[in-house]
Amino acid sequence: MDAASLRARFGEHGFIASDAFATALQLVLALEKPLLVEGPAGVGKTESAKVLAGVLGTRLIRLQCYEGLDALTALYEWNYPRQMLRIRMSEAEGTAASREAREAEIFSEEFLLKRPLLEAIVQDASPVLLIDEIDRADEAFEAFLLEVLAEWQVTIPELGTIRARHRPHVILTSNRTRELSDALRRRCLFFWIPYPSLEEEITILHARVPGLPERLAAQIARAMQALRDLPLQKAPGVAESLDWARALLNLHRDHLDAGVLAETIGCVLKVREDHLVLEAKPEALRPALDEAGPLRPGGHSLETDFGLGSVSTPRR
Amino acid sequence: MIYPFQSLPDNLAAFCAVLRREHGFRVGPRELQDAVRAIEISALGDERAVRDTLRPVLSGSLDDVRVFDRVFEEFFHGASGGAPPRDGLGMPDDRRTRPQPDRGEDRASPRREPSSFALGSDAGPLENADEGAGAVHEVSDLAAGEPAGLLRARYSPLDAEGEPVFLAPVDDEWRQAAAVLAGRVHRGLSRRWVPAVHGARFDFRRSLRTSLHTGGDVVMPRWRTRPRRRPRFVLLIDGSRSMTPHANAALAAAVALTSVTMNVETFTFSTALRRVTRDVRRAAAGERRRLAPHRAWGGGTAIGACLREFLQRFGDRLLTRDTVVIVASDGLDVGDAAALGDAMARLSRRSAGVLWFNPLVDTPGYQPTAAGMSAARPFVTKLASVNDAAALMRLARAVRL
Repeated sequence: MDAASLRARFGEHGFIASDAFATALQLVLALEKPLLVEGPAGVGKTESAKVLAGVLGTRLIRLQCYEGLDALTALYEWNYPRQMLRIRMSEAEGTAASREAREAEIFSEEFLLKRPLLEAIVQDASPVLLIDEIDRADEAFEAFLLEVLAEWQVTIPELGTIRARHRPHVILTSNRTRELSDALRRRCLFFWIPYPSLEEEITILHARVPGLPERLAAQIARAMQALRDLPLQKAPGVAESLDWARALLNLHRDHLDAGVLAETIGCVLKVREDHLVLEAKPEALRPALDEAGPLRPGGHSLETDFGLGSVSTPRR
Repeated sequence: MIYPFQSLPDNLAAFCAVLRREHGFRVGPRELQDAVRAIEISALGDERAVRDTLRPVLSGSLDDVRVFDRVFEEFFHGASGGAPPRDGLGMPDDRRTRPQPDRGEDRASPRREPSSFALGSDAGPLENADEGAGAVHEVSDLAAGEPAGLLRARYSPLDAEGEPVFLAPVDDEWRQAAAVLAGRVHRGLSRRWVPAVHGARFDFRRSLRTSLHTGGDVVMPRWRTRPRRRPRFVLLIDGSRSMTPHANAALAAAVALTSVTMNVETFTFSTALRRVTRDVRRAAAGERRRLAPHRAWGGGTAIGACLREFLQRFGDRLLTRDTVVIVASDGLDVGDAAALGDAMARLSRRSAGVLWFNPLVDTPGYQPTAAGMSAARPFVTKLASVNDAAALMRLARAVRL
């Protein structure tokens, strides 16, 4: 599948991918190398893997990383209670099997619980393996992961070595809460997903929020661009613009003005300090609001003197 | 496109060599091989497609991505190439086209420390002036090749080059004091489970393994427990002129802490923030290092602005609820006191506690009444003067974090 058709198929699934990203995904399929995706929060890193699985029509296997994730939790576990039960039962039946035979029985595949990595290896068709937020896992786990990603085989002492018949397509995401090792970076293709441009964001809004008025979409996108330029603690991502668009749609607003902004800004800015930053610089969003043209009196939205005094009191 | 060499593989190899030699990219034979395979599937007639294909293969971090397009342009179009085409990365054009005099020297160094380049690459405010990790360390090098007059003109009147500061290995007394301090930090339980003699959770796997010898009877139960986290420290050391005599003690404390615990990050600041963790680690390993004279040494102090910059660029990565923040400063701030109070409130909220090393505390009759100090005071766990190892030991014994 070439980049253009990948991009088109992603579009059908409601994911607007840039040419560069489509090319990177094409390389994942062609070179069979993992893709490390980094970018600010809420730009669709995780979503891209889900959509890729949808486009390829294969299974998505997800390994969510967290602090303290260890190799066994990611790979496999024996079903201990069941093993115990089997031992007791075979004792009660009084079977005179040898120790080796007993051991082979309770350490058979029947008692194996497959965790995401092993699950990805034993699939019949190449699945998409999403290793989400790899930066949250410990360095030790990262080292272990390197080995799996390089060899695509897992050795279970009791069973032997299991080798992947079909290499999974791997997407790793990272929020950069800690630095990843050079070794991991070298094993992967790298792609940085930036915030979308104004036009891209408008396209995304239309693709994901059906029925959104043209003017509102443009205003939201413009406001988002302005917000991301402010020195915020948590800059809003695409996820926030989608939330905001849905909220405004639910409130039956067809355009954005100062009053609506004050009512719904909580969809976008999630930290108290960020609200203060915006209050200190109300003019930052003015270009987006000006798009609304002169305010019509008697509309359903409140007219306010945003930035000069109280934000939410209607002018009489 | 202009191909400097005859065949495509030769061109690719030469391009990779340029990336590796001049820009510190980590590209070896394997990356080259991947690049050749990748280029086979891309549309060779479309320059943009070629670039989109090579970028994910050859770059490994955001820093690399930012440099890549410029180098590609220079290599295949000659250095004087026209306006760079849009690359769909949505980055402001100045990032790519702006001449970067610091890159050459910086990247030419045979080794980059992974931690520093990954950490320094945040999209922070300093980034606009100067990007990447190299910049965090070597801000002054940017100006190294320029005439002195230019240098002065660009710097604010607050900046002045102080005397060089040395980082040296510390003696046992310092290390003991640092170890005591590290031991005073309350350490939460890690989320991991490790095998242990006694523990909170039954270790099925190992118990079952051992029980095979006794016919399935668990005679020797095995347990798992959660280990304690390691203490983490962040040191922010004021390098302004008024602090110069005292900063050496704070740096010694940083070296001492680095030699007894693992997670120590050190920054210096005056009007700009600079990460010196790498130098401190080297010093802890027994190397004597000179901290290059730098904007962060000498000059005035804008503590609030620097702490805010720290929070924005490194806060998410370095601050956890068991991180102890140590600020070493005399609190003589030329910046906005409200900004300092605000930054301190955020620091203390996101960390286990803030220790403030203030050399003036020992002065008889000193009261922390300077505007900066009184704004910061409510958020400081312990204010003390640390001028030698004994003082650090006294502080460590008195404090509980």
